[in-house]
Amino acid sequence: MDTALPQQFIELSLHSLKQVQNQSFQLNQHSFQQTNTFEEHAQALSLRLEPISLKPIHKESIVAAVDTSTIKIGETTQGIVIAVRGASVWKQGRNYRYMRLGPFIFHLTEENKREVYNALEKAYFSSLSEQNHQSVPNLLQMPTRIAGLLERWMQMMLSKTINKGIILFDGSLTSGTADMPVGRMKEILGTARKRSSIVLAFSKMTNLRVNGYLITDFLPEDTPPYLLETEGLKLKPPMVLLGDVYVAKLTKGNCAFRLDIDKEVPIEQRIGAVEKLLGNDLLTQSYPETLRLAHILCTFTANEVIAMQHFITRKHGLQIINRPDMHRLLFGPFGKGESWS
Amino acid sequence: MKLYKKEGNIVQILSFPNETVEKGDYLLVEDAEAGRSLIVQVIDVQFASIPGVLEELLRSLPDGGELIQGEDIDPLEIAPHITYIQDASLLFCKIRATVESENLSPSSSWLPSRSRSAIKKLPLPTLLKLAKINGKLPIVLGGTKDSALLTIDASSLDGRLNIITGKKETGKSHLSKLLMVNLVGYKATVVVFDLNGEYISLGMTADGKRNACFDKIHVLTPSQNFKLALKQLNLHVLLGILIHALHLPGTSAREFRRIWQSLKERGNITLHELGETIRNWNCNQQVRDALFSRYHALVNSGFFTDNVAEATLLEECLLKAREEGGAIVINLRNTSSIDRQIVVEYVLGKLVESLTSWKLKAVFLFAEEAHLYLRETYWDDIVTRMRHFGIFTTFITNQPDTIRENIYRQADNIFLFNFTNEHDLDVVSRAARVDAETVRSIARDLPPHYCLALGKVVRDFPMVAKVRALDVKTMGETRLFFKDMN
Repeated sequence: MDTALPQQFIELSLHSLKQVQNQSFQLNQHSFQQTNTFEEHAQALSLRLEPISLKPIHKESIVAAVDTSTIKIGETTQGIVIAVRGASVWKQGRNYRYMRLGPFIFHLTEENKREVYNALEKAYFSSLSEQNHQSVPNLLQMPTRIAGLLERWMQMMLSKTINKGIILFDGSLTSGTADMPVGRMKEILGTARKRSSIVLAFSKMTNLRVNGYLITDFLPEDTPPYLLETEGLKLKPPMVLLGDVYVAKLTKGNCAFRLDIDKEVPIEQRIGAVEKLLGNDLLTQSYPETLRLAHILCTFTANEVIAMQHFITRKHGLQIINRPDMHRLLFGPFGKGESWS
Repeated sequence: MKLYKKEGNIVQILSFPNETVEKGDYLLVEDAEAGRSLIVQVIDVQFASIPGVLEELLRSLPDGGELIQGEDIDPLEIAPHITYIQDASLLFCKIRATVESENLSPSSSWLPSRSRSAIKKLPLPTLLKLAKINGKLPIVLGGTKDSALLTIDASSLDGRLNIITGKKETGKSHLSKLLMVNLVGYKATVVVFDLNGEYISLGMTADGKRNACFDKIHVLTPSQNFKLALKQLNLHVLLGILIHALHLPGTSAREFRRIWQSLKERGNITLHELGETIRNWNCNQQVRDALFSRYHALVNSGFFTDNVAEATLLEECLLKAREEGGAIVINLRNTSSIDRQIVVEYVLGKLVESLTSWKLKAVFLFAEEAHLYLRETYWDDIVTRMRHFGIFTTFITNQPDTIRENIYRQADNIFLFNFTNEHDLDVVSRAARVDAETVRSIARDLPPHYCLALGKVVRDFPMVAKVRALDVKTMGETRLFFKDMN
């Protein structure tokens, strides 16, 4: 696997941390794991209520998934300290294997945020994305942007290395955002297609609605597994939809998910890909185990956050301070703290 | 280490994996600004409640319960920090004393600073020095975990009630032998009720040679080299045997008193004459039968003789021991329950008599499994009345519930070996000089031959030591069927 990006991640991580030597360090009072949501406008959306029945195909195919996570681990007088980690999981035969990258810790300030991001982007993708020129990321958006960058790189690595497999992404195939430039996503999907792999993107949450109902709540009584096809989803420019949107109910129970499948793949192959997923991976509550493991493995636990804070104080001499929580201070038990997503 | 919490007289201290602290260790919580320090003892070690640990453990176990295989590329080397945090432990420590200007006080009424306090291990030699656990008559009990010697003062056993207890084969008898040998070395008089013949070779080395105290060990085996002539007995000692050991009713005891007076007047106190007198005594038939049955019990015990030359005088042995110190081992092995009670009744009666008349200064009495031969009323006698006469008892048992609760309450020193049974630990923790948490927590994890010393011998600083080896011939080993086959 090409390790250019992790190397750049390490160098930038260490470089950014050098700037915080011997500063005071405010522990984060509210840590939030990354959630990646953006508004999609779907005025003309409709749902075909004739389900596409699925039959598991047990012919052996590799199933791989990738997910990343980021967390704010504290604040300095100049900025924030964040951690990023990614995990790839693949199932071959009966065994799951994983590769975890990170955690990478960054000290992000108003001064270095652009430099850090651009350096990372250039390091792997050789050029800056079209969206990069348009907007300067907000400091609070930086953790998701950096995690997004690592995720794209890991997705690219999977699409370059997996042959005739199923590649699972967390989220949708909507692109044209700062996190997901169109060109880059097209490149990932194209590379996967060249190797006869198909990308399936599962969204844990969706805001797409038909007649006021969430598409994942609007389900026929048919016996799963099945897919429901959507039609007429239009996104506002510059956002582009690189996949066709389905509702996937793959097991019995109440759960169904939005599933995006590469538009360029013929319909029969799309259905075949989902059937291969059914035949080759465990599915619990309609969600593939490989993707679940990728998510679990990259998520930061509270213990890891404490360990990273310990690392920063030990290795970089940061002094931990405990600034009062203004929400708690002002509103007492009613002060639930700031939320940031 | 960091001070985390204090509840009652228990402090909780956060400890990290590179700080090796175990149950029983002493820590010094130093508050330099307050100019005071707390001496605390670790009574339990638990995992610190670190948020997210459960998730951490769960994610390494996917479906099927097998560890997921994979590779972690961790360039910043955060993983050691994660395990460092995960393996942090919480030490539950009992406050034992406060040190202020090198003076110890049992106070725990102040609170050291959580942020400023420095916590370090308190080496046992330093604690022994601080607590002044030494003295002019040292007895080396054994080695502590940090290779120091735990030395107690023989005078801390003087005038005290001691209990040695623990599971089978944990080293109780070994410790009692160690204490005895040392007491004899300091010219003390020791009497042992030896139930299993374990102490009879106290004067021999492991390879069967005579050791330094060979001449000071007097082994008396009832009906062998330990016999009594009736005429050497006082009436009240004999009545004690008849009433307490042989359960002679009051009316019969009154008749016996008359018979004894009659024999005395005739100057013919022999077993034969006693039997004849009972036979011809003018009294109720039932009283006669009662007296006869007791008479036969005395005769059948083989403990009594009419031949004065054959009789051994316990008093002589005691007087010999008084001069140079010595141990009188009453070997009760192969003695029936009734005979055992007769012997014990006689010995205790004789001891009280000798002590009352100041023929003896004091006696250290070691009683193994005393419930097998000590009558009910003697328990209270031993801890109250007999102590004032100068009988200082050490009870040795592997069944702590056979010793009455009031004995535990008044015990000055307890030497506790391993116990795993909750009920046994409950019983021991009733002792006044012990706190239940310490007993429950430390005694349960003691390895064989390790002893938790509690009470005055250690100035109320519970200490664990491995009882040192003693070059004494081992006796009382369990006879094994498969011994030669292995």
